[in-house]
Amino acid sequence: MPEVEIQFTVNGISRKICTAPHRTLLQVLREDLGLTGAKDGCSKGDCGACVVVMDNRAVNACLVLAARADGKEILTVEGLASDGRLSHLQQAFAEKWGLQCGFCTPGMLMSSYALLLSNPQPSDEEIKRAIAGNLCRCTGYSPVIDSVRHAAALAREAGHVW
Amino acid sequence: MSGNVIGVPAPAVQYRQLLTGAARFTNDLPMEGLLVGKLLYSAHPCARIISLDVETARSLPGVAAVLTHADIPGENSYLYHIPDQPLLASDRVNYLGDAIAAVAAEDEESAQAALQAIEVVYEPLPGAFDPLEAMRPDAPVVLPGYANVIPSALFECGDLQTGFAEAEVILDNTYYTSWIEHAYLEPEGALAYVELDGTIVVYASNQAPHRDRMQIARALKIPEHRMRVVTPFVGGAFGAKDEAHVQIHAALLAQATGRPVRIVRTREESILTHVKRHPVIVRHRLGARRDGRLTAVQIEIIGDTGPYENAGRFIMGFAASVASGPYHTPNARIESFAVRTNNPISGAMRGFGGPQVCLAYEAQMDALAEELGLDPLEVRLRNALESGQVTPMGGIVREAGAVRATLEEAANNAGWRERNKIERQPAAHLRRGLGLAANWFIIGMGRGQDNAGAILEMATDGSVVLRTGAVEMGQGVYTALATMAAENLGVPLEAVRVIGPDTDKTLDAGPSAASRQTFVSGNAVLRAAAIIRRSLLETAAQETGLPIEVLSLKGGRLYAEGELLNYTIPQLAAKATFANRPMHADGYYAMEFPEELSTKSDYIGVGPSAFGTQIAQVLVDVETGEVIVEKIVAVQNVGRIINVGGAHGQMSGGCTMGTGYALMEELIVAEGRTLSDSLESFLIPTSLDAPEIEIRLLEIPEPYGPHGAVGIGEPALMSTAPAILNAVSDAIGVRLNRIPLTPERVLDAIEGAKR
Repeated sequence: MPEVEIQFTVNGISRKICTAPHRTLLQVLREDLGLTGAKDGCSKGDCGACVVVMDNRAVNACLVLAARADGKEILTVEGLASDGRLSHLQQAFAEKWGLQCGFCTPGMLMSSYALLLSNPQPSDEEIKRAIAGNLCRCTGYSPVIDSVRHAAALAREAGHVW
Repeated sequence: MSGNVIGVPAPAVQYRQLLTGAARFTNDLPMEGLLVGKLLYSAHPCARIISLDVETARSLPGVAAVLTHADIPGENSYLYHIPDQPLLASDRVNYLGDAIAAVAAEDEESAQAALQAIEVVYEPLPGAFDPLEAMRPDAPVVLPGYANVIPSALFECGDLQTGFAEAEVILDNTYYTSWIEHAYLEPEGALAYVELDGTIVVYASNQAPHRDRMQIARALKIPEHRMRVVTPFVGGAFGAKDEAHVQIHAALLAQATGRPVRIVRTREESILTHVKRHPVIVRHRLGARRDGRLTAVQIEIIGDTGPYENAGRFIMGFAASVASGPYHTPNARIESFAVRTNNPISGAMRGFGGPQVCLAYEAQMDALAEELGLDPLEVRLRNALESGQVTPMGGIVREAGAVRATLEEAANNAGWRERNKIERQPAAHLRRGLGLAANWFIIGMGRGQDNAGAILEMATDGSVVLRTGAVEMGQGVYTALATMAAENLGVPLEAVRVIGPDTDKTLDAGPSAASRQTFVSGNAVLRAAAIIRRSLLETAAQETGLPIEVLSLKGGRLYAEGELLNYTIPQLAAKATFANRPMHADGYYAMEFPEELSTKSDYIGVGPSAFGTQIAQVLVDVETGEVIVEKIVAVQNVGRIINVGGAHGQMSGGCTMGTGYALMEELIVAEGRTLSDSLESFLIPTSLDAPEIEIRLLEIPEPYGPHGAVGIGEPALMSTAPAILNAVSDAIGVRLNRIPLTPERVLDAIEGAKR
């Protein structure tokens, strides 16, 4: 099968890869780039564990063909912290126990990140809608919602830095 | 009530890895030369295997191995309580999750091609798909050599006939629950490889790593010391990873090929194969006086356990242990059965038989209140267990004061006594209702099984390594254990690093199940910490010339009767180390059972009790049958809060899972075939379905608990479904007896009442 060439930015670094055209963005991130933060929980877009941010929007990486990411900017959970310092969003999840087993956490963080990009002070209802595609079996969601609300407050205090 | 570290808000100890993507779950572990492992599952729920031909599959390019039952060097069994489930089926299949062959190949496509090239000829056989039918003498035998009916427990106390004769009202009702899929976000997986010295290493998403080692070694026919099991990060488990899943198959393939092999189930395979929460039928006959006091209960519990025993006997046994609920029942007969069918295997899931019987006894308490025209809260308070009372199982309950305390706390915070003032009909098509449910759970697995070891080591700078065989699967056990270690060694929480299960490095802590690890591993940590603390204090006594009794450690410093001394723990740790005092300690704990605690049961339902109460407020759309849970007030006695965020997380997660149990979760199985085999057909609550939850934790200490703590993981879920069921009944004025309360069932109930 002829391969396709993809050039994209992942966590701020320009990458060029060749891959079979049927492979998904999730497979390329995990298997080719070693970015195993995004998880495969169902392979069909039901669970949201694979969510990454593509051109500032949250997408299920298992449903996006890698070729579709050509020319795009991708942000994964590995790109949230900078210089070893957790972002406000990550800090908020830590403080508010917005995670338990942590398997849904990368997707939950990225859906929340995309929400806060477009809506820096979301209501609880808006937070619930933004993470409605991210299943979590541990937390019951309210600690996650608390975390996102807290992240918005931390970022506001810091002048809207995520 | 917080200590220096205990009860002080702090993040989970592993938060940084989990929040940065650095945490490696089984499917994330890097490995050179890795083969893809896959299993061929049965095409029929009940069939004879006429022939099995794997030669073509073996010859395909990229295929490294295809194993059948004939290739297993040791025991072809998962080795549960009885060895009735084969790892790879030989002459017959008994449910759709039976594996027939194991494949290892260079890549996914080659592995798939090999699966398709395996030729199996089946002769379908009549199966048993209904537990009541399977109990009949003329039913097809599900598993040759084994009876369909597994009697699980029989508890009797007092005199049933007298009890019912004394009753002024008798309520005889039957309750039904469905199969529940655990739906953890990480499907089961394992990675196996062979070390240069021949040791087989298995990384697995599991709950019982030391037991896994024993099971894998027996299948591979190698001694256990040639076997190493490591638990990496685990993406949820809730009971289904307590038994082996693919780790034995991965090890067999690694042994056969000499190469690393990873098997990770797809979501569909996961749902089809692993154990489910038992669907049960509970026949509940209750007798009471007009004042609401119980005189007798007779309960029969029948659970569909699938073809293999797994933990079915124990789960139905535990269900019987707690079937009378947190109420004094002087005359009782409780009997339970696990029944073999060709349906999915049932096994451990959060609550271990408790949630099913809790639904029954709490619906019965409401039915009784309605019958007598009494307040449901009052009926419960009149029957609430008191410390020292004997349960039908023969146990004596300690600290039962928590029953009344949680009932009162929930009632006071949910506006229970003012509930007649709530707006019952906010719109023409809406009805509002309030429902209450208490619960009783017993922590641990019972006599002779509740052992745990933990290892602590303090370095010369005062920092601490804690090695535990307890699996962190999201329940917060690493944080709880690290907190207790820090508290007892006088260091901050950040000074403790937790190393999780690795059979080469950790002691057996038993499974992370039965809400037991905070209790048993916590106590083991306390014992290990006591040894190191003594080393530090002896050193301090020598240095200061003060008697050891006046010295204490906290916040990294030494105190004498509360007065800060000029010694730090790092200084003492270094001096103690060079003085050759023990700074590395093993702590062992086995749950202690006073003789009087149980007279009838060796393996189930003996241990410390947990009590809680939840009140749900619901809104029912009487035109569509939809139920919205507006709020849950959840009260639980946890004995002592070790970490407040972790404890609250267990409660909110449990209540949300319980809401799914009550309203939406139902595995659809037809003639042994699971139809809801994905997360789009088996629905669990999303952020839009989760109710608002007000959590109130009580701290009535459990005398044997570490710092008074008692487990919370399973109790958190118990009351939610019955509270919602009772609330819906309250809203629509119709008693209900089956969950989930789908819109269809709610509408049927409303229509049925009109007729």
